Amino acid sequence: MSTEEELELLKKRFERERKARIQAETILEQKALELFESNQNLLKLNQSLEIQINEKISELSLSERRYRQLVGSVQDIIYKVSPDGYFTFVNSVVEQRLGYTEEEILGKHFTELVVPEYHEELIGFYLNMITNGKESTYNEFPVYTKNHQLVWIGQTVRLVDEGNNVLELVAVARDITDRKNTEEQLKNTQIRLSTLISNMQSGILVEDENRKIILINQFLCDIFGIKGNPEEMVGVDCAVSMDALKHQFQDPEEFISQVNNLLSERKMFLNETVYMADKRILERSYIPIFLDNQYMGHLWQYNDVTEKYHAQEAIRKSEEKYRGIMNNMELGLLEVDNEQTIVRAYARFCEMVGYSAEELVGKNAQNLFLPEEFVQLIEEQQSLRKIGGSSSYEVPILHKNGDIIWTLISGAPIIGEDGVVTGSIGIHYDINERKKLEQELSLAKQIAEDARQAEKQFLANMSHEIRTPLNAIIGMAHLLFDTRPTPQQMEYLEILRSSADFLHSLISDLLDMAKIEAGKIEVHHKEFDLIGLLKTIQKVFEIKISARPIDVHVMIDSKINGSYIGDDLLLNQILLNLLGNADKFTEKGSISLSVRLVADDDENALLEFKVQDTGIGISPEKLGLIFQKFKQINHQGHKQKGTGLGLAITKELVELQGGSIRATSEEGVGSAFIFMLPYKKGQNMVIEPPKGSHFMERKDFENGHILVVEDNLMNQKYISSLLNKWERQFTVVSDGKQAVEKTQAQKFDIIFMDLQMPHMDGYEATIAIRSTKSQNQHIPIVALTASAMLDQKTKAIDVGMNDFLPKPFAPNQLFEMLQKYAKDPSEKMAAIPEESTKKEEPRINRDILDHERLQEMYEGDVDYQVDMFDTFLEDVLHEFADLTPLNEQQQFMDIKRLAHKLKPTLGMVGLTTLEQKLIEIEHIALEKPDYQDLKEKIERFTHLLDEAVPTLKDELHRLKNL
Amino acid sequence: MKGIVFTNFLEMVEQKFGYDLVDKLIEASNLPSQGIYTAVGTYAHQEIVTLVVNLSALTQISVEDLLKTFGRYMFPVLANTYSHFLKDVHSAFDLICSIENYIHVEVHKLYPDAELPHFDVHKPSAESLVLDYHSDRSMGAFALGLLEECLAFYHENASVSMHYLNESGSKVRFEIIKQ
Repeated sequence: MSTEEELELLKKRFERERKARIQAETILEQKALELFESNQNLLKLNQSLEIQINEKISELSLSERRYRQLVGSVQDIIYKVSPDGYFTFVNSVVEQRLGYTEEEILGKHFTELVVPEYHEELIGFYLNMITNGKESTYNEFPVYTKNHQLVWIGQTVRLVDEGNNVLELVAVARDITDRKNTEEQLKNTQIRLSTLISNMQSGILVEDENRKIILINQFLCDIFGIKGNPEEMVGVDCAVSMDALKHQFQDPEEFISQVNNLLSERKMFLNETVYMADKRILERSYIPIFLDNQYMGHLWQYNDVTEKYHAQEAIRKSEEKYRGIMNNMELGLLEVDNEQTIVRAYARFCEMVGYSAEELVGKNAQNLFLPEEFVQLIEEQQSLRKIGGSSSYEVPILHKNGDIIWTLISGAPIIGEDGVVTGSIGIHYDINERKKLEQELSLAKQIAEDARQAEKQFLANMSHEIRTPLNAIIGMAHLLFDTRPTPQQMEYLEILRSSADFLHSLISDLLDMAKIEAGKIEVHHKEFDLIGLLKTIQKVFEIKISARPIDVHVMIDSKINGSYIGDDLLLNQILLNLLGNADKFTEKGSISLSVRLVADDDENALLEFKVQDTGIGISPEKLGLIFQKFKQINHQGHKQKGTGLGLAITKELVELQGGSIRATSEEGVGSAFIFMLPYKKGQNMVIEPPKGSHFMERKDFENGHILVVEDNLMNQKYISSLLNKWERQFTVVSDGKQAVEKTQAQKFDIIFMDLQMPHMDGYEATIAIRSTKSQNQHIPIVALTASAMLDQKTKAIDVGMNDFLPKPFAPNQLFEMLQKYAKDPSEKMAAIPEESTKKEEPRINRDILDHERLQEMYEGDVDYQVDMFDTFLEDVLHEFADLTPLNEQQQFMDIKRLAHKLKPTLGMVGLTTLEQKLIEIEHIALEKPDYQDLKEKIERFTHLLDEAVPTLKDELHRLKNL
Repeated sequence: MKGIVFTNFLEMVEQKFGYDLVDKLIEASNLPSQGIYTAVGTYAHQEIVTLVVNLSALTQISVEDLLKTFGRYMFPVLANTYSHFLKDVHSAFDLICSIENYIHVEVHKLYPDAELPHFDVHKPSAESLVLDYHSDRSMGAFALGLLEECLAFYHENASVSMHYLNESGSKVRFEIIKQ
């Protein structure tokens, strides 16, 4: 190619390139413009986008929140499984429902959760779903949670497929356990109810609104004799079957019409009595069934109440009968509730109180009828009623006209069906007449009792009053024995003595009885020697009946030994009473006293005493009367003596000690009195043995103490003055009984004992002392008595006395006796012979008067002094004698008052020492009254006062002669 | 059609036959654009058809061969220009498979007016690909060239066979089988 051509080509090429460049520049420029515009647009877009984005973001966050809330509130498990049953997805609810986490669930086969019994059914169900390409199914089955709780699941499963290919199953599963449980319960309840109805002991028939049977039970079929299964009856038209059954009823047409009537009324009608042709009685209830006011049918209930009906009929008849009886019995019945409000008033009651039944019902019975003073009584009854108790009581009620009517109310609680007391029923019996009579009777009884009490008091007083002079008679009689009477006088004295003794025992019995009845006898428990007591009694009794052909036996159970604690004095009295009784009715033969230990333990013993005689006996019909007061059994040809109180007292004394007594007897053969007494066992009474066995050694004792037993006051004084002079200690008592008591309490060295004494004579006392274990059992006892009676001396030695001192005796005779049996170791009494002369000088005793004081008081006013001395001796002196009886009655305050009153009078006559003693007595009586203490003090005081009297008289005599 | 196709076509002609042929071709073709092309411009499709047909007449080389050669020439250019499409593609098959669903999608984003052929890719086995080409431009041979150069680019030893599925050549099937 030529250069020219080349150039041309290059030019062309350049031209093309240049054009292409321009073209490109244009395009680029255009593009740049477009780009710029786009950019601008983009910028704008960007801005609006930002706004939109912000808007969207806020919308998004809102919707996200909503979504979260929604998801959070989803209660259902949502999951997916592969067609072969493996979990591929599950939401978080699963953990909450089943306890598995999502990770735990994924990859599991769904049957792993399902309760095994449901596996097969469930797999079949879902296979069927897949095979038949069902889009959606619903099924329910139980599963186990991770911790093996059973949860019911209801799930909707949807198939996700592509063409014929099942891809997966999506399920929404809900926990329906609660619903399932409720259904289960409902089902159970339904089963129970239908079972209940089927088995109910009551015929049930349920019909629908067209009278087709819905439900009928066996019992109903049985009642009407319907054959076949109750279930087969369902659907039967009752309007038809009713006709077939109507002839079973007593009145078929009435049955039909009543049923139709009930059906048309559609109102509940319960327990209607229906009479059957075969005499059965049925009870029928008709219950219409409404659902939301829509009549759905009705229920019939039939019960065979034949038996109940007859029973009720019987009750009704008997009720009628009793009502009739009650109305005729004039018993007023009133029913009240717990607040005493009258619920029902019966005719007779209304008649009784004058109100009509209408007036009474609703009123408060208490306010209406009850006098105020009886409110308390009713309230007590009321509270008793509330706890279900019934009782009878008498109460006055107010008649309408204001009269008081006494009624006997028998109240009983009314108990409701639930066992709660709902009120009470009172049966009122008009006892007005009886009450009047009763009041009169009680008044009469009161008068009679007052009279009897007065009589008793009078008797007791009289007995006491009689006893005082009687004691004087007895005492004087005994004293007369000491005056050396002639045999003739002796005989009279003996009669006088025995009569007085008898009179004394009568009075004693009366007094004893009075004391027993007044409860004044006290049982004093102390340790005593039983065997000694029995021996004493035996010996005393033997002496008493020694002249008669009667043997006395005492038999003591060998098991009885040692001492017992009880009242020995009461026992003594009982035994003496019984023995005396036996003696009274026994002419010959024997009287025996036996004692037996019936039972014992370490501390207690029960003893049986038996006094048996061979006397005339008691007839069976009279045996029951012997322990009664004032009942003397009259034996023919037997002379009666006594108050008739002996056995009554004995019985009282036995019973007072907790014992019992009975008697057996056979007429003409003899009687036996048996009593039992309980005793406590003693400590076997440690008795200090005498320090020497022979009385001659008694002089060794330093505190020689002499007991003088003498009822003669003169003799008492005589002996006392001698012993005082010899400075010997001594105690004076005035009868055998006191002597025995003293020897039990205190050690003595010698006893001077009078023989004739009231209460217990010297023989008896000696026997008692010798027989009873005590420190004085072997003490020398010297009898004091009239010397003439040789037999007395013999008897005295027989009962255990040591010596005999005839009365009257000289001081040296007494001194010799003391020397012989109880020589004072100090040997102070040397000059006895002078004794009698000293006794002649009463003036010596003037020293007992406080002359200094008298001088101060009267200052030589002799007339005044004479007046005072005279007054003291005449008017005051006898008042001191009241101290002793007051003490006997233990009237300590009276002693105090008397002592207080009398003590200045002693000062007025110069008896300062005695004044001091009386002040002491006053103090004791006030501060620490003690019978024994006062007794001794008063005795001592009286003694001293008695001694002072002659001195006072002498002084008065002297003053008068000045 | 995008200007890059024309500029590269004329460059290839210049490279193989010299600029005087380029001039002859342009003179002979009587093109609306007068043969003035810029890569950023867009020109009627008919012009490339005219150029290829006229070049075939001038050089006595079949249109098919010309298109195939042009395809082979074009691949490195495209690979270079659009290297970011190839960044995460490590094999020829991957690249081929991504044409329709990735590269063409991206091209459309850049050039919304671009008219692109449609490819359906099947992978009957791991060793072979079936590529159905569908375009009214009927430039199957150009595609073949691109494919061959692509396999070479990834050093894939595979054969590509081309079958016309219709007379117009608008539907063509390529079967690529690894050796």
